[in-house]
Amino acid sequence: MELIFQVLVSGLLIGGVYALISIGLNLIFGVVRIINFAHGDVLMLAMYATFWLNKGFGMDPYLSALLVLPAMFFFGVLLQRVIVQPIQEASSNMQIFATVALSLILQNLALIFWKGDFRTIQTSYAMSTLEVMNIIISVPRLVAFLVALVSILSLFSFLKHTFVGKALRAIVEDNTVARLMGIKVERLYLLAFGLGAAFTALGGILLIPFSSVYPTVGVPFTLIAFIVVVLGGLGSMSGTFMAGLFIGVVETFGGTYVSPALKEALYFGIFILVLLVRPQGLFGKGKGTEEIGLK
Amino acid sequence: MSANRWQLLGFILLAAVVAAPVLVDSKFILHMVTLIFFYVAMTSAWNIPVFGGKMSLGHAAFFGIGGYTGAILYVKFGVSPWIGLVAGVAMSLLGGVIMTLPLLRLRGPFFTLASIAFAEVLRMIAIDWRSLTNGSVGLNIPFKPGWANLTFQSGLPFYFISLILAAAVVFVSYRLRHSALGFHLRASASNDEAAQALGVDTRRAHFIGLLWSSGLTGLIGVFYVFFIYVVEPNTMFSIPLFSLQPALNGIIGGIGTIWGPVIGAVIMTPLGEYLRFYLGTIQQGLNFVVYGVVLIVTVNFIPGGIVSLLARLKPSKGSNGPGSPSGAKEVR
Amino acid sequence: MALLQVKNLTKRFGGLTAVKQVSFDIQPGEIVGLIGPNGAGKTTLFNLISGILNPEDGEIILDGRPIKQLSPARRSLAGLGRTFQIVRPFTMTVLENVMVPLLARDPHMGKAREEGMQVLTLLRLDHLADAQPDSLTLAYRKRIEVARALATRPKLLMLDEVLAGLNPTEISENLPIIRQVHERGVTIFIIEHLMDALMAVSQRVLVMDQGVLIANGSPQEVTSNECVIKAYLGEETPTC
Repeated sequence: MELIFQVLVSGLLIGGVYALISIGLNLIFGVVRIINFAHGDVLMLAMYATFWLNKGFGMDPYLSALLVLPAMFFFGVLLQRVIVQPIQEASSNMQIFATVALSLILQNLALIFWKGDFRTIQTSYAMSTLEVMNIIISVPRLVAFLVALVSILSLFSFLKHTFVGKALRAIVEDNTVARLMGIKVERLYLLAFGLGAAFTALGGILLIPFSSVYPTVGVPFTLIAFIVVVLGGLGSMSGTFMAGLFIGVVETFGGTYVSPALKEALYFGIFILVLLVRPQGLFGKGKGTEEIGLK
Repeated sequence: MSANRWQLLGFILLAAVVAAPVLVDSKFILHMVTLIFFYVAMTSAWNIPVFGGKMSLGHAAFFGIGGYTGAILYVKFGVSPWIGLVAGVAMSLLGGVIMTLPLLRLRGPFFTLASIAFAEVLRMIAIDWRSLTNGSVGLNIPFKPGWANLTFQSGLPFYFISLILAAAVVFVSYRLRHSALGFHLRASASNDEAAQALGVDTRRAHFIGLLWSSGLTGLIGVFYVFFIYVVEPNTMFSIPLFSLQPALNGIIGGIGTIWGPVIGAVIMTPLGEYLRFYLGTIQQGLNFVVYGVVLIVTVNFIPGGIVSLLARLKPSKGSNGPGSPSGAKEVR
Repeated sequence: MALLQVKNLTKRFGGLTAVKQVSFDIQPGEIVGLIGPNGAGKTTLFNLISGILNPEDGEIILDGRPIKQLSPARRSLAGLGRTFQIVRPFTMTVLENVMVPLLARDPHMGKAREEGMQVLTLLRLDHLADAQPDSLTLAYRKRIEVARALATRPKLLMLDEVLAGLNPTEISENLPIIRQVHERGVTIFIIEHLMDALMAVSQRVLVMDQGVLIANGSPQEVTSNECVIKAYLGEETPTC
């Protein structure tokens, strides 16, 4: 009985990080309307940056966020400007291939420069745990969840209450009208990509204490992010959050009770199920489902 | 040069490639040309749903399913590879059904994404289902040469087999494109809503196109398995090798056309091998970086591929010739 | 029996009721026009009948057969043809465009090619059979749109603004085609902004305003109808 709660808690904790990473994607896809296959690779780069800061300067991973996050924000802006903007008018199939190519390039550059070895950071708190009501909670995972939660709430607030946030939401809802209203859409694309990249990078930083880095570490996260976004409903931040937690829980339960290696099969299965049964997503407002083609 | 001169040059080049192993006695060239034919077949098969604007990156799944079916039946149950061919096609058709039924409703990029996921999942299953597939260790086709076992001492039989396979797939692709199915796929890619308003069941058209594609890819997979003898999950279900590569070939050659995949495969296969051997040994991964850059440049500047470059040379008469690029521009 | 029966058709988009309890019949052999100010719900009505949108309420019966549950493709096969306001011919030759619906009914290429040429000849497009539509003028592209819809051998053909964007010469060339199609036994339901053209060609006219059907009669009856005049002048029509 206790095991179930243990697994549940672990699932929720990692789910928070999944939600964080997926929100980055939700933002990018919602605003810029591009399927970014290199999404997980942004995560990978952030993790490597954190690793090298730790290796070279002994910097604590959480602290290095101060440097890595702005850097990744700019990287996101750069990606949008250099890679995405030129193909924004191209057919979406061509856009896919451009981001697939980007993913290939990033992963292999990482391979070239940093080799394929699994890199890990040792921190004093990596192994520390708390015990609450007979449930053991890993501290770094708890920190990850809490930071994710706070970040998501901040983003939520930003989107709801600031002018820029509202402009972003306007673009998500209707790009053309937003443009006609005088919103500088191209600039906001840059912002959205930068923010999306930063949030994803944050997810990576939070993962570092209990996860190793290697060139292809980001690949499953691209898939997870998309599944979470579709599951939660495009355009719904709260949906993405809930869906992230859901996937985290399902993955952990699946890994414990079924087989650790069949995780991907499990969430692909869920993905298909959702598409068949409730295409607008579990919590979706139905916005953007036409984009995916789910009517 | 006028368009006709380019066409002539192209044919000469193609003939040279086909005849090379006959003219030059080299195992390397024989192997390379055979590989080129395999990729011509794979790229053409991948290209069929592209008539309708569906670019799957999950074809490694069908390739792997076909290959593993043939290999498992032969190695574990002693079933003849020739029967394995039929079984391989049947299994990859089944895979095609499983993949497309739920996923066809997805538009462009989401479909592509889901197709990658499908291939990835199958790869994981191949690794995990050890009792069936031997997991990561893989299966080895025992060396018992003879046509009955589809295993040979010399590389020549597979040269011919792959040549016939390539010609067959290109032919099927040609016939499909010029059939009612081809028309409906192209109409759907152009404007799905209008096509439906005219009475075209576009879902069904895409479904059938994908079935053809998956079945053919599975067939190629079975042959391939007996060509290389070693069957393991990370190769057979390799997305870079059997999903990305055909797609890359297709895009560079010219997607949605008949000759595009052929041109793309003929150019990119040796280039890819060269990149892998020379750049890959200097620095592992460098070849993929080059791939990535080539892909981005092509997507940005020549989305219609080489065929579209050649088409620009023709005076615009509007005739379709071997096929005008569909799927490059109108799919959204 | 009426060819098309629409009963209490209603469509809501969130808080907006775009089509409200619209009911009317179209008899076989008629040419019926549909007019109304911008935003009246005309194209939405077309979309409901052709199946692109699903109504919240109401019935649609084509030739005695309820079609509300049918997909757009099935409705086309049942005899409902329609053109779109924004013409987008397929990226293939003019003849191939017309062959698409023919092949959906009979996959024989040779037959489709023959019949396709017949349709093109009827619409005086045969000399453009091998042309690419995007190299042609809007007037021709609109005709291709009609040719394509005609190739579906419709019982009822719905034309959505086939004359919009054409200059007077082009209109005088394309308008007789509508009559020609009608003479071959096709019932026509036409949305058109150009009043003169529509009144000239329609036997009966439906008028919509803000989702509601406010008039249904001959062109003369409708143009002298107070409610209609008020609607076009932008006044509220509480008594209609």
